Amino acid sequence: MALDQMNEMSDETLLDLYGQGDPAAARALTLRLTPRVLGYAARLLTDRAEAEDVTQEAMLRLWKMAPDWRSGEAKVSTWLYRVVTNLCTDRLRRTRGVDIDAVPEPEDDQPAADERLQQATRMAALDKALATLPDRQREAVVLRHIEGLSNPEIAEILDISVEAVESLTARGKRALAAALSDQREELGYSNG
Amino acid sequence: MVKHTEDHSHLDLLFQEARETSVEPSTDLLARVLDDGLAHMPVAEVAVAPVSCAPAWRRFLSALGGWPAAAGLVTAAVTGVSIGYAAPGPVGNVTSGFGLEIGTGYDVVDLIPSMDGFYAEVEG
Repeated sequence: MALDQMNEMSDETLLDLYGQGDPAAARALTLRLTPRVLGYAARLLTDRAEAEDVTQEAMLRLWKMAPDWRSGEAKVSTWLYRVVTNLCTDRLRRTRGVDIDAVPEPEDDQPAADERLQQATRMAALDKALATLPDRQREAVVLRHIEGLSNPEIAEILDISVEAVESLTARGKRALAAALSDQREELGYSNG
Repeated sequence: MVKHTEDHSHLDLLFQEARETSVEPSTDLLARVLDDGLAHMPVAEVAVAPVSCAPAWRRFLSALGGWPAAAGLVTAAVTGVSIGYAAPGPVGNVTSGFGLEIGTGYDVVDLIPSMDGFYAEVEG
């Protein structure tokens, strides 16, 4: 089957095809899910190399689980986010006391002429602020505000109630706002 | 309160920017993930005629016609062997049982072909 046709298929259908031994489904899932998993892992770990390891491990678990996948019980993306969350949590616990300073510093003295550089500066600042949040708050904020998931989906991924998700995201957002409040001008936002 | 609202709008812009900033995986990572996927991919089921792996005795039994046919065959064989092995009684015992005294002077043994009879026929 052509890759174009597979682009219109759901993750669940592709995983089912993969489970039947379709290599094109493996390629389609790789291209579709790897960026998503990597982006989420990178936000949680703030370390590209670690995030790549987690991505490969999470995808490996997906491949192994495929023959036992039962359609209709859950979304592949929800399952995958949960695996990534757990893998990242394990890594963060092992390296507790993670070096916040390892997050790239916004380049303060860089002229704001280059918009791409300014954007990179803002993303680095966001990552650094996210790294200061407690694990659960960070996971909930990233899933809600960056990955764009609904509160019930996040509740399923984190295995908590929807109310707890709302509380975590609200507190996380307040903490982030406080952490970034003194950098508004540096990040290119006016005080107006 | 006003300050919070301003801070959150500032944050919402950052979130929006983060959503639009995709993290591109390296080709090396994509290759590793795909290699894993292909290595663990279940083998596609191919429709082939099932190969019989039944033991030889079962296939032989099936060729005979199954258990009923085999039972009949065994019964016939055992009966044949037992008839051949058991020495038949004199016919006189039966005829005298009916109150008849035929008195032929011959016994059943006399009716069984012997080597003497064979030689007599050859010489004759």
